[in-house]
Amino acid sequence: MFNRILIANRGEIALRIIRAARELGIETVAVHSTADASSLHVRFADQSLCIGPPPSKESYLNIPALLSAAEVSGADAIHPGYGFLSENAEFAEMVIHSGLGWIGPRPEMIRMMGNKIRAKEAMKEAGLPQLPGSEGVVKDERDLAKLAEKVGFPVILKAASGGGGRGMKIVRDKDQLIQGFRTASAEALAAFGNGDMYVERYVEHPRHIEIQIVADEHGNIIHLGERECSVQRRHQKMLEESPSPALNEKLRERMGRVAVEAMKRVKYNNVGTIEFLLDERSEFYFMEMNTRIQVEHPVTESVTGIDLLKEQIRLAAGEELGRTQKSIVMKGHSIECRINAEDPVTFAPSPGLITAYNPPGGLGVRIDSGAYEQYKVLPYYDSMVAKLIVMADSRPAAIMRMRRALEEYIVEGIKTNIPFHKRLLRYEPFVQGRYDTRLVEKLLAENPG
Amino acid sequence: MDVEKLKAILAALQSTDVTRLTWTLDGEVLDLRLGHPPAAAPAVMQAMPMAQPVSASQAAPSQTSAAAPAPAAAKPDSGKKTFTVNSPFVGTFYRSASPDSPSFVDLGQSVKKGQVLCIVEAMKLMNEIEADQSGKLVEALIQNGSPVEYGEALFRFEPE
Repeated sequence: MFNRILIANRGEIALRIIRAARELGIETVAVHSTADASSLHVRFADQSLCIGPPPSKESYLNIPALLSAAEVSGADAIHPGYGFLSENAEFAEMVIHSGLGWIGPRPEMIRMMGNKIRAKEAMKEAGLPQLPGSEGVVKDERDLAKLAEKVGFPVILKAASGGGGRGMKIVRDKDQLIQGFRTASAEALAAFGNGDMYVERYVEHPRHIEIQIVADEHGNIIHLGERECSVQRRHQKMLEESPSPALNEKLRERMGRVAVEAMKRVKYNNVGTIEFLLDERSEFYFMEMNTRIQVEHPVTESVTGIDLLKEQIRLAAGEELGRTQKSIVMKGHSIECRINAEDPVTFAPSPGLITAYNPPGGLGVRIDSGAYEQYKVLPYYDSMVAKLIVMADSRPAAIMRMRRALEEYIVEGIKTNIPFHKRLLRYEPFVQGRYDTRLVEKLLAENPG
Repeated sequence: MDVEKLKAILAALQSTDVTRLTWTLDGEVLDLRLGHPPAAAPAVMQAMPMAQPVSASQAAPSQTSAAAPAPAAAKPDSGKKTFTVNSPFVGTFYRSASPDSPSFVDLGQSVKKGQVLCIVEAMKLMNEIEADQSGKLVEALIQNGSPVEYGEALFRFEPE
C-alpha cells in the first residue's frame, strides 16, 4: 500500500481523496496555487505545497512543479482526481517513470480512450455496440455525403478530439450537410487544433447512461451498475441519479455484462466509466470512456455502499478486487445535484465571496464541497461549489429528500443554481422519470425562470 | 494564550513582511502563517538546461516593505527598508553549488543584480536563482537542503 499520496487537484475532489486516504491510513500532500492557499484541501492534508500562481496552466497543469512537489514531499503516489491532468497519458507516464504510483488506469488505456475515433474502433473490436456511422475519420466531402446517405438523416458530425459539445453539429437534411461539416470542422480546428471529424446517426431522444467499471491489476473486473446522466445543459451534466429510471434489471444486466466483457478484452485496470447512448427503443451504443474517477461517483457509492475512492487507491497499489459481480447489490435510490456558482437563469458564472453558508443535513444527505462561509469562489477554476447527494429507499423518496435538502441549502454572496434545481425537482417529466438529454432545454423553454 | 495577546501579536505583525512565526512558551506553541504569497507571477518552469540562471524578479516578484520589529524573530535593524527574493517554483533549496562549495552568498555580503544567490532544484534540474537588484544580505530564511514552495521568501536584503 502507498504511504503518502500527492493530490494533483483542488476543490471538492481533492478533499474527497484526502478523506479516502485518511480512512486507509495513508498520508496526503495537497498542492495548491497561490489563490487556493486558504482552501480546505490545503488545511486537511498532512502537508501542503504551493506550486504556482492562480492560472491552472502554471499550477495544477504544471507537470514539472507537480513532480517536483512529489519529490520534495516524499510522496510515493499521485492521485490526479478529475479534470486537469487526470486523462493526460504523458503525465501518467512521467509519474510512473519517476518511480511513483499512478492512481488511475495505465497510460495506454488513457491514450486509447483519449482519441474518440481510436476509442470507438477499439471498443467495436472489444464487442461494444456502435451507432451506425463512419468508421474512423471522414476523408472528404464526397466521402461524407456517401456516409450520411447510408446512415440516414439526421446525422451528427463530431470532432475526433472533441469534448464538451464543441465541434459538434446536427444535420437534418442533405442540403445542410457540406456547410455543417465545414463549420464544425473549422470549430474543431480552432478549439482542439485538429479538424478531423466523424459522423454517426443522430438519435433524437437519447438518454445518457454510464456504467461504472472497477478493475484490479490481476484481471478481475466488475461493474457497479449505471448512472443516469441525461439531465444536461449544453452537454454539461447538472444532476445524476442511480439507478436510471429507464433501465430494468434485464437491461442493466446486459449493459453491465457487455461493458465488463469489453474491459476484459482490453485488459482495463483501475476505475473507469463507459458512457452509452440509450435510444427510444432501449438499444444502447458506446459513446466514450472516461479513464478516471467521475464527478458523479457518489450516487454509485450511495446505492452500492462501496467507497470508490478507497477502491481506486487500493487497486492502484496492486491489491486484489476481492469482490464478485454477484456480491454487488444496488439498494435504494440516489440523486446528486451539482451546485454551481452561476446565475440560475442566465447560467453566467458568479464567482465571489460566500458571505453566509448553511449546508443541508439530516438522514440520507451528503455534501461534497470545499465551500464554507468566507470562502471565495475563484474565477480561475470551474464553477462547481458543491455536490449535494441524497439517498433514500425509492426514487420518489429521494426526490422528496432532495427538495427538502435544497430548501435548507443557504449560500449568500454569490448566485447559485439552487433555484434551478428546485424547479427541476418539481418538473413533471423529471418526477415521472420520463426524460432524455433534452429535458433541461424543454424546462427552460416552458419556464425560463 | 488569550485572545488579547494574540491580537497584539497580529497587530505587531500587520505592516511587516513576516510570513511565518513560530512562538513557543511554557509548552504552548503558536504557529502563524501570514499574508498571501505574491500573485500573478509568471512562473517559468519550462524545460530548462542545467543551471540556467533565473532572475528572481521575472519569476516571482519580490516583496518590498518596511520591516518592523516582530517578536521572536531575528530581524534586521528596524525602520530600514528590505526586500525578499522569492522562490520561482517548488523544489529543493541549496545555498551552494555542491555540498563542499562555499555558500553563494553569506550574511552581510553585498550582491549585485544578476549575481547567483542559490539553487532551487526541481525535476533534477539545478536552477540558479539570481538577484534582481543589488543589496546586502541581512537574513537567509531557508535552511540549506529544505523544500521550498512557489513564492516562498528565500532571502531578505537591504537595498544598497
